[in-house]
Amino acid sequence: MTGRPYQLCATCVMDTSDAAITFDAEGVCDHCRTFHRDIKPHWHTDARGRREFEEMAARIKASGKGKPHDCILGMSGGIDSSYLLYVATVELGLRPLVFHVDAGWNSQEAVNNIEKLVDKLGLDLYTEVINWEEMRDLQLAYFKSGVPHIDSPQDHAFFSTMYKFAEEHGIKYILTGANYSTECIRNPLQWMYFQSDSIQLRDIHRQFGTRPLTTFPTTSILRHKVYLQILKGITVVRPLNYVPYIKTEAVALLVEKFGWQPYPQKHFESRFTKFYEGYWLPARFGYDVRRVQFSSLIVTGQMTREEALTRLQTPPFDELTVAQEFAFVASKLGITIEELRGYFEMPKRTYKDFRSQEQIYALGAPIMRMLGLERGGKR
Amino acid sequence: MLRPRIIPSLLIHNQGLVKTTAFAAPKYVGDPINAVRIFNDKEVDELSVFDIDATVTGRPPDYGLIQRLAAECRMPLCYGGGVTTEAQFGEIVSLGVEKVAVSAAAIADPGLVTRAAAMVGGQSVVVVLDVKRRQGGYEVFTHNGRTATGLDAVETARRMADAGAGELVINAIDQDGAMQGYDQTLVAAVRAAVTVPLTILGGCGSLAHMAGLFRDHGTIGAAAGSLFVFKGVYRAVLINYPARADRDALVAGARS
Amino acid sequence: MIAIVDYGLGNVQAIANIYQRLNITVRRASTPAELAGADRFILPGVGAFDWAMTRLNDSGMREPLDAAVRAGQLVLGICVGMQMMGEGSDEGHLPGLGWVPGRVRRLTAPPGSVLPLPHMGWNDVSARPGGLFEKLEAPPRFYFLHSYYFEPTHQADVLATAEYPRPFAAAVQRDQVLGVQFHPEKSHGWGIQLLRNFAEAPC
Repeated sequence: MTGRPYQLCATCVMDTSDAAITFDAEGVCDHCRTFHRDIKPHWHTDARGRREFEEMAARIKASGKGKPHDCILGMSGGIDSSYLLYVATVELGLRPLVFHVDAGWNSQEAVNNIEKLVDKLGLDLYTEVINWEEMRDLQLAYFKSGVPHIDSPQDHAFFSTMYKFAEEHGIKYILTGANYSTECIRNPLQWMYFQSDSIQLRDIHRQFGTRPLTTFPTTSILRHKVYLQILKGITVVRPLNYVPYIKTEAVALLVEKFGWQPYPQKHFESRFTKFYEGYWLPARFGYDVRRVQFSSLIVTGQMTREEALTRLQTPPFDELTVAQEFAFVASKLGITIEELRGYFEMPKRTYKDFRSQEQIYALGAPIMRMLGLERGGKR
Repeated sequence: MLRPRIIPSLLIHNQGLVKTTAFAAPKYVGDPINAVRIFNDKEVDELSVFDIDATVTGRPPDYGLIQRLAAECRMPLCYGGGVTTEAQFGEIVSLGVEKVAVSAAAIADPGLVTRAAAMVGGQSVVVVLDVKRRQGGYEVFTHNGRTATGLDAVETARRMADAGAGELVINAIDQDGAMQGYDQTLVAAVRAAVTVPLTILGGCGSLAHMAGLFRDHGTIGAAAGSLFVFKGVYRAVLINYPARADRDALVAGARS
Repeated sequence: MIAIVDYGLGNVQAIANIYQRLNITVRRASTPAELAGADRFILPGVGAFDWAMTRLNDSGMREPLDAAVRAGQLVLGICVGMQMMGEGSDEGHLPGLGWVPGRVRRLTAPPGSVLPLPHMGWNDVSARPGGLFEKLEAPPRFYFLHSYYFEPTHQADVLATAEYPRPFAAAVQRDQVLGVQFHPEKSHGWGIQLLRNFAEAPC
């Protein structure tokens, strides 16, 4: 509680639950201003975008000549990575190895969607299964730390295994479903601190973990942004930024062509993320990630502010669902409901309460932006 | 009409799900509870879970694990691993498990099968026979395929059925993890010898293998491990199971 | 409110889980006191007949359940729970609860053929429409796991049949006493709907 009066952005639905938010004289927030100033002018989904798209595809194909695959594509079963898989394979004619990380929380829809796409597109799949006992212990460590970003273990594992695999197999291109269309406005660091910060992860583990991390994959921002990308030439490509990506149309296409099963909300392909974003983060901290997601859709013209405000009035889950998901997560983590409730009620901490590489991110982000390697970015 | 059963068969080793090849080289597959959850949503016919550590380490069944599996599992569940007494049958059934599987202990003492059936009913007593091809027939093995019993598989199957077993699971060690098809000779031999419900495990690599089994033997249980857990040339872990319409098509060709 | 009779047999947890997901109040009852206040009861059951009857008799809940049946309260027996509601079983020696006239017999093959026993797996069920079997996605099927079946004295008490290979009673009903031979708690959508129908049946 900062004592700051409540304010809602005049054009999107971000508000002062993001403590770092600033507003201009018209009441427009810095998220919107960053989008219009830094992202939109460089974001082309028309003929120019198509040309860049095809040039990129040609480079990827050239790098993969004579190899079984020319790129790897990180696949969660969610809408972004699913649509990406379709675009990359059918529209660009690439030969991706589909890469999936199983952290133990896959929903049935996610597994079904991966299966349908891989089968119908005739692609190869590689799954990295994270050791569940280590994952569970690390997730519990995050609960015990009291910080908001308790989904870091899943995200961190995802990125580090994918980069490691690309490096080991000499694959130069990693395709991700990250996109401006639905993600131009990002979660504030206060809500979700950088999941790639391995110093933070290790400090939380050191203080609250009960078993060593032997097989759990870790990476570091220096490693994957600097070493792998700049020195070893592994390029991360975001194809969805080169084509018009309208979420509702993408879903309809996938449902019709592949028997794809939609999710009630973004990121619900993981049962844990569903619990985290749909209940834990809003109920414990007052951070509703739907504000971020809807705001992205508003500035990109896919949702009206009125519709967003109406939807934000009801919580993502009704009480019965909350009780069921709470019981499920507790049971899966091997703790009692009372213990989980205890973590829910404990004093709140932030990422600043633990060691981090925040300085490196603060130094690196402007450089990445200057080099054109990133636009917007998290703050 | 009674349908043939299509059964995912899961192995637990060190609390985690694994898949073996010829009963060796266990590959880590993930958390058992999440696998059960996904199978629930796929509305699986029934599920078998075997703890492959208990018997070789001489440990009793892990009741905590069994209780968690039973609490999550929305379809009929068969549990096996470390079962040596009829009291354990009763204990496991009262945790909410429909069927209890036994192997080494029943082979050593068929009376266990009879006593267990008197308590929990024959329908809940399953005997698993792990077998390897041997000169002129098949030999029964125990302790994860490491101990040769010298007993003939078909003869042992008969003995277990006579003792009151409600179901026999015939597990072909040579085919385990190979995904090249069921051992047809073995199935035919056991099917001809006993009338109790049979479930065949070991070697299933495709739904076509199951369709073949149903075509040849009618109402029989088709179990598979690798098929429902792996996908593709890299054996990528991905839980899968045919949708209801596909299943109905599969069993439609079953000989009555 | 539904009370699930917990006398140590049958998948009480699975039944409770289904009702919890439907947001219908249930209580697990392992003593007579815990049965009080319920307006309907579920009697699950797995195991040999005598073993199940002994455990029910020893639980102390037999008498309050008899009283509930005399008072016309709704009861649903599942699998061996249904078989216990008859006069006795060929599987054992103990008398049954006697709530529905009839006896439990072993499934047999037609002459000249062999019948694998137990009856194990998913089988189709034909039921009189409405009541316990209403709103089921057609054709309904349920999971069976048994070697004995209930033969009611009065044909009118047969509510549903299955074939293995000859028709037998898959469900019975006499006044407020119902029984199903299959396992609704393990029969996915069909079982969930049937259990919901039981919860919502008028008293």
